[in-house]
Amino acid sequence: MSDIRIDKINVKIIRMLQNDARTSFKDIAKECNVSLDTIKNRFNILKKNGVIRGSTIIVDPKKMGEGNLVIIGIQVLQQFSESVLNMIKKMQGLCVVTKSIGQYDIEAIFLLKDIEQIGITKEKIENFPQVKVANVGIFVDKPLLCPKNFEFEFE
Amino acid sequence: MKLDKIDFTILEMLIDDARISFREIGRKLQVSPYTISKRFEKLKKERVIVDSTVIIDPEKVGYSFTARFGIDVKPSYSSQVLDEIIKIPSVIVASKLVGKYDLISIIVVKNFEHLCDLRETILEMPYVEKVEIGLWIKTMELCPKYFLI
Repeated sequence: MSDIRIDKINVKIIRMLQNDARTSFKDIAKECNVSLDTIKNRFNILKKNGVIRGSTIIVDPKKMGEGNLVIIGIQVLQQFSESVLNMIKKMQGLCVVTKSIGQYDIEAIFLLKDIEQIGITKEKIENFPQVKVANVGIFVDKPLLCPKNFEFEFE
Repeated sequence: MKLDKIDFTILEMLIDDARISFREIGRKLQVSPYTISKRFEKLKKERVIVDSTVIIDPEKVGYSFTARFGIDVKPSYSSQVLDEIIKIPSVIVASKLVGKYDLISIIVVKNFEHLCDLRETILEMPYVEKVEIGLWIKTMELCPKYFLI
């Protein structure tokens, strides 16, 4: 796929949609002083090129009755990070898991219902024979998401 | 606010695609677009829906990796520091934490120089005592529900 040029109009489209994903193309067109079709076209190209992966709403997990976000930092025995990673991928409530360089070898974020679930999840990870340490951190309140701050430059 | 089946369907469909039309959601639930629109407004008012956004691929706009910052602050100043961290461009998630650190932040990073700058910026903030960094590699696609990368 060819690289896409992120020019002024594209930045504006992305910015407006980052602020409110449901902004109408009409409003964006007005703001950019171009036609509705231009915006539609550009949006489709941005999507096709994978610059815009999709759109979503941000919900408060507590209000949906979904519980707590938890980050678990994991240290593993040498050379086992891949297999531990794969095991964690299968676990319930997982939001993201990644290899990491730093204090931990693997970091994973889970969405778990209650303290009991947090305990069970931690224990499960600690019980993997290749795992040395699993440290838990619980997100307080809902995390602040700042996609609006997510800045990038354009040519 | 107690959520019913209609609310959950609306939320699920919007989490999947925030730009989906109310008409389409209405069709699936066999209710009018007007009902959906009213429900949507209510979910927003009750802060079940906090916000909406597009998900950008950081690599396509000049970022090369993601870093997790664990931050320790002087006791009772974590809210204050959190407010400052949120303002840093390229911060995607920030939260208070119970655990090893007082605050946690997930940040997209352009290069190592940028990473150093970010670290210094945070270290120079008043009341910040320690910053510990984990560089994320081979990160699976983040669940867009809560992490907007």
